[in-house]
Amino acid sequence: MGKVMVLVEHRRGEIREITYEMLKKAQQLDEEVEAVLIGENLSELKEKVRPYCSKLLTVKVEGLSEFNSEPYQQILSQLLTQRKPKILLMGHSAQGMDLAPSLGVALGCGVITDVVDFGFQNGEVWATRQVYGGKLSAKVKASSETVILTVRSGSFDPQGLLAFKGEEEEVTFPLVPFPYKKFLGFLEAPKAEVDITQADIIVSVGRGIGGPENIPLAEELAKALGGVLACSRPVVDKGWLPKDRQVGTSGKTVKPKVYIALGISGAFQHVAGMKGAQMIIAVNKDPKAPIFNVAHYGIVGDVLQVIPNLLNKLKERKK
Amino acid sequence: MQLVQRFELYACLQCGKCTGGCPVSLRTDLNIRRIMRELIFGEEEVLKKEAIWDCTTCKTCTLRCPRGLEPSEVIVALRAILVERGRVPKTVIDALEATYIHGNPWGRARQKRTDWADGIKVKDLTKGEESEGLYFVGCAPSYDPRLQRVSRSIALIMKLAGVDFGILGTSESCCGNEIKRLGEEGLFEELREQNKEKILSSGVKWVVTTSPHCLNALKNEYGLEGIRVYHYTEFFLELLKQGRFPFKNPLAQKVVYHDPCFLGKQNNIYDPPRDLLRGIPELKLLEFSRSREISLCCEGGGGRMWVEGTGRGTRNSEIRVKDAEALGVDIIATACPFCLLTLEDALKTMGLDEKLQVKDIAELLTEALGLEVER
Amino acid sequence: MNVIVCLKRVPDVAEIDLQVDASGKSIKTEGLPYVLNDWDNYALEEAIRIKEKTGGKVYALTVGKEVDEEVLRRALALGADEAFRVWDPSVSEMDPYVIALLLSRTIKENEIPFDLILTGVQAQDDGYAQVGPILAELLSIPHVTLVTRLELYEKKARVKRELEGGLEEELEVELPALFTIQSGINEPRYVSILGIKRVAKKEIRVFDLGALKLDPGEVLPKIKVEELFPPPVGEGAEILKGSLDEISEKLLEIFEKGGVI
Repeated sequence: MGKVMVLVEHRRGEIREITYEMLKKAQQLDEEVEAVLIGENLSELKEKVRPYCSKLLTVKVEGLSEFNSEPYQQILSQLLTQRKPKILLMGHSAQGMDLAPSLGVALGCGVITDVVDFGFQNGEVWATRQVYGGKLSAKVKASSETVILTVRSGSFDPQGLLAFKGEEEEVTFPLVPFPYKKFLGFLEAPKAEVDITQADIIVSVGRGIGGPENIPLAEELAKALGGVLACSRPVVDKGWLPKDRQVGTSGKTVKPKVYIALGISGAFQHVAGMKGAQMIIAVNKDPKAPIFNVAHYGIVGDVLQVIPNLLNKLKERKK
Repeated sequence: MQLVQRFELYACLQCGKCTGGCPVSLRTDLNIRRIMRELIFGEEEVLKKEAIWDCTTCKTCTLRCPRGLEPSEVIVALRAILVERGRVPKTVIDALEATYIHGNPWGRARQKRTDWADGIKVKDLTKGEESEGLYFVGCAPSYDPRLQRVSRSIALIMKLAGVDFGILGTSESCCGNEIKRLGEEGLFEELREQNKEKILSSGVKWVVTTSPHCLNALKNEYGLEGIRVYHYTEFFLELLKQGRFPFKNPLAQKVVYHDPCFLGKQNNIYDPPRDLLRGIPELKLLEFSRSREISLCCEGGGGRMWVEGTGRGTRNSEIRVKDAEALGVDIIATACPFCLLTLEDALKTMGLDEKLQVKDIAELLTEALGLEVER
Repeated sequence: MNVIVCLKRVPDVAEIDLQVDASGKSIKTEGLPYVLNDWDNYALEEAIRIKEKTGGKVYALTVGKEVDEEVLRRALALGADEAFRVWDPSVSEMDPYVIALLLSRTIKENEIPFDLILTGVQAQDDGYAQVGPILAELLSIPHVTLVTRLELYEKKARVKRELEGGLEEELEVELPALFTIQSGINEPRYVSILGIKRVAKKEIRVFDLGALKLDPGEVLPKIKVEELFPPPVGEGAEILKGSLDEISEKLLEIFEKGGVI
């Protein structure tokens, strides 16, 4: 068994959830859990992480309030060469994807990305990850002295994090200036136009939604799940939603992680536009509706009853 | 060669018979008469018109032109230029690429092309079996669950009547009729080559198709020497006349027949579907006022299943189902998979799906013959 | 501006029931349809647009067998100037590091001039999302992943990068640099069959380890696939039964498992 080190992921003064997911798994794997926090103003941030590690390494760098792979790579190369953890964990996120592979080259170590589980076996690190769009899983091994893993968000449940020793150690490293990659700032996505083809979660309505007066209900569900509203062609034809929301052969093709089809029969031209979705959940009154042939989960029932109940449960859960 | 020379556009009288008969002229920006004139002044401006994608290639314009010009072919040629430039609507790209990769514009797996025949023993002519004729199923009837009832009906009826036929199985590729009309001539030629090779090496003497679109391509554009190509309604009428349809159930229903453009207008097959329907005991056949040569195009052809241009307002298919309602019929019968899908969609949007049904003639035949189509 | 674009030919498995082969480490590929990796398609379109806007050349590269040249033909049909393929049967196992190493050597040995290198964010078969950044590191150039917008200037680029939850960030990067391109950055044009036929005779330069002055001992993977296995799922739609409350509870569980909430 070796040490597990977690790279704390933060943005705009908040610790990102993936950090806690990784800490939870690390706690399960080892009695020694180290975390490393890099940034400018660390006094508040560090208190949100320190209690859950054996030791939190803080690296304070002037002018580095937000992530930039260049200085992070310089810092972590030096840190890992010194400390040699068996595993370095980071999120398979925009930060992790930018950093892990190139850091691996700098250190000469194996990098396994987008893992949903991992552990030790005979001195090697193994990890499980999904391939072919989730149709198959793969067990991958790396035998380098240190192995970098990027963890898929939602793989581990951060509930029940234990209180650990919580020591703190400030460390510094010499940094070579990196004018060739400058972080300029954040941009919120423009709200005006919705591109359903880029959404991860889609709530889609068909004629079974009944009428335009029920569209806001579906919109509410989409919002509650962090997704966007889409529809099948009859809904556009009736003018209940604009054409840019249409999924199907004469509309848009979507490949979201989750597609919730409400009152959609599953007509051929529609299915062709969404069959690539990773998880399809369908609600329809008709048990023979063709949508159930392509859906992963189905509910035979009235959309107008199922959705309000679900929304209530979602609201309760938030509290 | 410039389109002006290729299509002899200087000969156009600007009489307006083309636009006058165009089924989408009232609900889209497509004005084919204007295009015939504007091309004389240059192609670039015309190529910018989104309305190019509204054409259903029903060919009414070409059939009516007093000078024998081919306005519908001009539209296809404009589309071909856009295809070469790569600048076509995204849904068209998806359909064309899907056809290239999977052999059908719906992007469905080739391996699943024969799923429609589950539970029906059909000869596969690419696996060493032989037969007199070929049933060319078509993409939509192979993959769409609603249309699989039609392909199953056709196969079951032929078996009942003792017809010796086989299919090309998962080696059947899209006939390419719509692909050609979307302007991808190169892909059409590839598909034709693939299918022709399979058809000729199977040794069949005749081919029967589900769809009038496949009929059009195989009969008129494939050059299948010595092989007769039929639409299933023509073939079935012969079987009916030979007494090979032992009807068991009368269908005491009022039915109106909708002429598909690619069957009627373009291939002159008007009576066989009607005679088949009249052959079903107790079926009462009515006619639309716009029938036969002037049948109202459902807007399913010419690649329109995958693209829309500038259409607004009530669709032709919606007008058609309203007409059927006014006639007081129970069933709209048709013999084209695209007509069936567009008319059924229209029943839903017009709220008429409790009152009326759309059925393919093959489905009505299986009902009357007492054949179980469901798996 | 000269652009190198790296392409991968992958199986399109949308409706296929994938099966693991006898080795247990890869899939049965018989009868599978193959396509250009979706992300690479966007990268290629971006490269061609840069050429159309600024002049210069586009170089298309792939690591693969002869049958993989299909993706290079597509690039040539779109206007790429030269195409390169790397393959050696002695490389028994490839991981992202090996692929990036072969690509970097091809670029160095041929002294391919470039202002930018574009790759897709990830491949739709294994989805590692590593080749791009590894390649950048091997060539000692800066990289940015998940690029949604690319603005080019004389010696630098201003890019938008996709973060989580609809947020984006903006960066300024000095050229030459490598960018991994996110889907949706542009609308890839159609490549016609006639277009591809027209470039059927164009040369694709092929390299093996010898030509790249590499020996097999240098080309070893850093990670290895031990086995592939199907995830446990049911057949067809699992119909959720019970009262409205029970169904909602089950849905919440499903959402949690799927990382939706």
